[in-house]
Amino acid sequence: MTDSVIDPVDTGERRRRADAAPVITDLIDEATIQSIAEEAWQALVGEEEFLVPLPGDAPDDAVSSWVEIVGPWNGAVVLTVARSTAEELARCLLKEHAPPVLDDEDVEDAMGELANVVGGNVKAVLPGPSVLGLPEIGAAPAAGSPADTCRVDLLWRGQTLTITARGAAGAPHDPSELDPHENEVPL
Amino acid sequence: MKILVADDSRVMRQIVIRTLRQAGYDDHDIVEAEDGADALAKVSSEKPDLVLSDWNMPNMTGIECLQAMRASGSAVPFGFVTSEGSPEMREKAASAGALFLIAKPFTAEVFSDALAPVLG
Repeated sequence: MTDSVIDPVDTGERRRRADAAPVITDLIDEATIQSIAEEAWQALVGEEEFLVPLPGDAPDDAVSSWVEIVGPWNGAVVLTVARSTAEELARCLLKEHAPPVLDDEDVEDAMGELANVVGGNVKAVLPGPSVLGLPEIGAAPAAGSPADTCRVDLLWRGQTLTITARGAAGAPHDPSELDPHENEVPL
Repeated sequence: MKILVADDSRVMRQIVIRTLRQAGYDDHDIVEAEDGADALAKVSSEKPDLVLSDWNMPNMTGIECLQAMRASGSAVPFGFVTSEGSPEMREKAASAGALFLIAKPFTAEVFSDALAPVLG
């Protein structure tokens, strides 16, 4: 007589965990996002431009740009800086083509392209197939669960730059992995 | 020689044009297009020797533009300059007839390596 192969305490939990959508912290870490951002900054902003991994003061007039990623992981890669930092970045990207007075379109375009380049390279690290959205600017999309957020706090020229890869709000996740604490700083 | 640069970002078009100059292609005529549909129209009207195109654009994407060009019989050399450089995207680009895919962020050296076989 053989032993029963039926687990009397099988609650289906293991199957549910395997089926749950992955969270970003299982797919990418802060160091990888920082490395992607540093490469983008040196190629687009300037060869002598560096990002320092230190948290800065939260800007009062934050500007966010982001691209959405839809695939096995659903969410957005969001860049957040102060308005003055966004203008400085736009001048760096435009270089000699920067007009004396920047208009909103130039600043939004520059911030959108930075999000596009960082987001596109984050997407390349994630499992596919995925689709990258067009860059968007404004108030950042609603944050998903803290457990599905990878946040990198940086300083560029002493100014705050925050990059987050954040799961879409409402994306299905394993409830046991949720952090009951909310993010303290809305981005 | 004439190069058509298609990107919905004016800032990125400027960066691509600047990088072309840094890569030694400063004596080429540059034509800009703001999306895939604009690029497709300018392939006919401007007759460029090379198209450098973003992938994700409103109205018509870069790969839709390339497919429409090839469907209409245009064999103009075409390369992508895009933030998505995964093996999957490179395979899609090559299957559609693109000669190369330059991933953003890029350097002038990457441009030289990709363009030299096409423009010399």
